[in-house]
Amino acid sequence: MTTRLLMYLGIIVLGGLIGAKVKLKENFIKRLGSFQTACLLFLLFIMGVKIGMDEKVINSFFTIGLNALIMSIFTVSFSVIFVYIINKLFLGGKE
Amino acid sequence: MTLKIVITVLLGIISGYFILPKNIINYADYIIDVGLMLLLFFVGIDIGLNKSVFSRIKAKGIRILLVPLAIISGSIVGSALAGLILKLPFNEAGAIGAGLGWYSLSSILIASYSNELSALAFISNVIRELIAIITIPLIAKRIGFIEAIAPAGATAMDTSLPIISKSTDSEIALIAFITGAICTFAVPILVPFILNL
Repeated sequence: MTTRLLMYLGIIVLGGLIGAKVKLKENFIKRLGSFQTACLLFLLFIMGVKIGMDEKVINSFFTIGLNALIMSIFTVSFSVIFVYIINKLFLGGKE
Repeated sequence: MTLKIVITVLLGIISGYFILPKNIINYADYIIDVGLMLLLFFVGIDIGLNKSVFSRIKAKGIRILLVPLAIISGSIVGSALAGLILKLPFNEAGAIGAGLGWYSLSSILIASYSNELSALAFISNVIRELIAIITIPLIAKRIGFIEAIAPAGATAMDTSLPIISKSTDSEIALIAFITGAICTFAVPILVPFILNL
């Protein structure tokens, strides 16, 4: 998994370097967004297929929904609390 | 885009459940890996093209980096605490929080680990974005401008940015963009890392 992590990071950095240093064709830059969307939607479709084939997930769909709601409420609340604290401590608490 | 994403996932679930042959599942992880590499490569190019982000960070001073840091640690601590209630191990709950609202990528990153957790990550990060859209104007009004960036997480640089900029001012919008960019960069690194703790 560490190799996977490094691979992800390496690929982003490689893309970043190409984006920053290589003069890319105008046409390619314009299409970059559609490439990303196509990749993303395809991946999400496959992910959906995996979820759809998993009886365990399908059967516990509503439990998952409720758990997800609890997770996101906690995640958002603590993000706000932590930013509030660093704002008061280090950023002068303005705004 | 959010609607497109939700519809695509639903289509996938429906065809996985009703239509496609079961043996396709053997190839799914491999397909996800290749597609993910391609996607991350394009995301990298995008970041590289926006060179101004880095000079903007320098101009603003290093202290604004505390904002994404607080959002990331707050998200992980929050989800880990929710995990205690829901009886999820720290690595699984923490990985969901580390998705930072980027529901598509975080659920894809978790897909090869467990379908159930991947579904939970997807729905919970979709809900995070919905909560962000609803609460950002309220937080800006009642608590403070900087705090209004927090619910957005990684979406502070794209989908939530218009709402943040509308509810605050241009300086906060810039900090929000930088915060979102750093969160976006952190998701593909943090999710697999925490999942493996």
